Amino acid sequence: MSRLGTNYLETEVLIIGSGAGGSVTAASLAAAGRDVTVLEEGPWIEADAMEPFSLEEMVAKYRHTGLAAALGSPGIVYAEGRCVGGSTEINSGLYHRLPASLTDEWRTDYEIDEFTPEILDRYAQRVEDSLTVSKVPGPPPPSSAVLERGAAKLGWRAVEFSRVFRYEPGGRAVKQTMSRTFLPRALDAGARLIPDCRVTRLVRRGDRITEVRCSRRDSSGAIEALTVRPEHVFVCGGSIQTPALLQQSGIRTHIGGGLKLHPTVKIAARFTESLDHRDVPMHRVTEFAPNLTIGGSASRRGHVALALADSGADYRDALDDWDRVAVYYAAIRSEGSGRVIALPGLAAPLVTYRLTDGDMSRLARGLVYLGEVLLAAGATELYPSVVRGAVVRSPDELVQWWDAVSRSRANVMSVHLTSTVRIGENRARAGADSFGRVWGLSNLRINDASLLPDAPGVNPQGAIMAIATRNCDQFLATT
Amino acid sequence: MSGDEPIPNEAVVSGAAGWLGQNLVRALAPHRSRVRCLVHSKDEAPLLEIIGRNIEVVVGDVRDPTALDTLFDGVGTATAFHAAAVIHPAKAVREFFDVNVGGTELMLDRARRAGASRFVHVSSNSPFGANATPLERFTEDSPYHPYMAYGRSKLEAEQLVFRRHERGDLATVIVRAPWFYGPYQPDRQTQWFRTVRRGRFPLVGDGTQRRSMVYTGNLVSGMLRAEAATAAAGNAYWIADPRPYELREVFATVRDALVAEGLPATRRLPRMPRFASEIAARLDGLAQGTGRYVQALHVLGELKDTIACDVSRARAEIGYDPDVTLLDGMRASIRWCLDRGDEL
Repeated sequence: MSRLGTNYLETEVLIIGSGAGGSVTAASLAAAGRDVTVLEEGPWIEADAMEPFSLEEMVAKYRHTGLAAALGSPGIVYAEGRCVGGSTEINSGLYHRLPASLTDEWRTDYEIDEFTPEILDRYAQRVEDSLTVSKVPGPPPPSSAVLERGAAKLGWRAVEFSRVFRYEPGGRAVKQTMSRTFLPRALDAGARLIPDCRVTRLVRRGDRITEVRCSRRDSSGAIEALTVRPEHVFVCGGSIQTPALLQQSGIRTHIGGGLKLHPTVKIAARFTESLDHRDVPMHRVTEFAPNLTIGGSASRRGHVALALADSGADYRDALDDWDRVAVYYAAIRSEGSGRVIALPGLAAPLVTYRLTDGDMSRLARGLVYLGEVLLAAGATELYPSVVRGAVVRSPDELVQWWDAVSRSRANVMSVHLTSTVRIGENRARAGADSFGRVWGLSNLRINDASLLPDAPGVNPQGAIMAIATRNCDQFLATT
Repeated sequence: MSGDEPIPNEAVVSGAAGWLGQNLVRALAPHRSRVRCLVHSKDEAPLLEIIGRNIEVVVGDVRDPTALDTLFDGVGTATAFHAAAVIHPAKAVREFFDVNVGGTELMLDRARRAGASRFVHVSSNSPFGANATPLERFTEDSPYHPYMAYGRSKLEAEQLVFRRHERGDLATVIVRAPWFYGPYQPDRQTQWFRTVRRGRFPLVGDGTQRRSMVYTGNLVSGMLRAEAATAAAGNAYWIADPRPYELREVFATVRDALVAEGLPATRRLPRMPRFASEIAARLDGLAQGTGRYVQALHVLGELKDTIACDVSRARAEIGYDPDVTLLDGMRASIRWCLDRGDEL
């Protein structure tokens, strides 16, 4: 690095964003001896500073302190991490490889080179070897056992999913977030990390990005301008921020459309026994997968309060009993899609998403099945995330939810946002080539969830990390 | 053809009070110890209960888990015939997905849990759209190309059925039926007879577009073969009359059938240019895009198309042998209307 002055920085590789995509990219390239700088808009937060899955954590690590909404009918509330480590710091850490059928489908539809199940599995194996992917030692927490028990009663398939967790000798579960794994490795290999630094514009000259303009907040809270002059840029800001930054920089072809996500509806379920809320359920009901998956969410008091409030019912009594209440969800694969649109002068882009009638029906179906499995597991009261969606206490009451889950009454949320750029040689559909280089630019690459051609139907972190590792190998081999 | 499975003594029928359902239940009743029937409203129960003492009616919504628990309660290895579906929703497109997809998934789940020996699912031509050329015939190998929301809903239902078979949950057979005719018809079909008789139903274009149709009796015989034939498990079959008809032949045959049943009919047949049907299809698409369903637009929009299938695989693999002709089937339908006192 050579400093041209306090507000200028030169680097070989600039990585914008430190989530699953950015951290993997930083570690790969730094280990190969490249000169790497990582910019992160959010703050650095000590790994153990906050109680995992707490509301305090949500305020500190989430963009907009937790909630943003995609406009539509209904709107969809979504969450993104905004801190060093990105969404890996706040998600439940479930880990999946990309299903082979999707790999094949995407390769064909988008004409993606070197994108076979064998190749991706090889990269997934590399990610897993360096991340610790594991099952829970011993019995699962009661909130997770609920799903296993309910599914067994109904004869439905349920599985414990692997997670990116490491278990310490004392039994403490430590989520292998980016700030605990790939980022320290990148820093050890010589990478620089600049937190609290928001990129506002990529400056383009011909087919190259020559400068990257940023505003950085220093330790006193003052904002200063920073300009980076990189040889190569990797944008890894996630499926909302990445296309917004590109659009703001005048790069618009196949950028920002095609947003995909996994819409979910929720139930806050009350049981007669206390549920341990220190961990998040790792079981999933997969009987109706891949179109529909049932799982559990963080259920500390604040989450329980938010979920109960979504029902619009009188929930004071249930909230007083929050230790016996847990939040569960049904997530669908959606046929609809959305769009990210950067608005001049505004930091936050406009996000829209349109759910189809088939999607709305799937959400209703999901809510009914979720209700069934929770009642089968012994729940006594179910509060759905549907305004005036009746509180249900027995299975014969579930049928009314079909009509309650309507565009005007359903509270829909999502955590997995993907597909706003898309890789492939099919230039009619893809914003970037088979390895994430933006079409028309020689030194600008994307390496995050935006590259996935579609929502994967499972937690996407594993797919993002495998694809990002693959793209780094190609970069190192060719550049 | 490779032989038959033993036929269970019991049968479960969803959509039992519908056009196909009533024909099916009547065919099953003499040969089964029990036929458990799902109907949507209490008023429909007597339509089935008069058939015989072995008919057990469950009133409920095919989307209701507890209604389906009752439907499958204590029937062990019965065959499940899933005929419940929405074809013309009262107003909103969403009903297609709630009933045709959601209802199918729940029926599959309950049939599996009850231990049903086979699941016979009624599908449609709509997952395949219209033929690319007037002489093309859909076969079991034709690719999906769904026509509007109904087609997408029936396609998704087929995928759920196939998946159950692939996962080893249930032995399933899909029966793809085109446009029905036959007794126990709904009011819309009776209305169609009336307008044809009076020369008010339009023929779109030159009337040479071909349509496969299926007499309900032929369809029921196909469903019973789908239940019995060992080779059918895991497959889908087109079940229709032996050959497709030109649309002008269908109209002429309805007229002949009316005359043969003593109902003079005009030979007048108003013509409508093809583009009127194309415009109707466009408007239908626009309305469905906003979640609305307009039956007249949908029917008119499809009249321009050739929708024809080939039944030779069902003949060869499961021994399907349709024996009622278009004229005889139409005459039976007209007699059924007259017997119950409908004005034609």
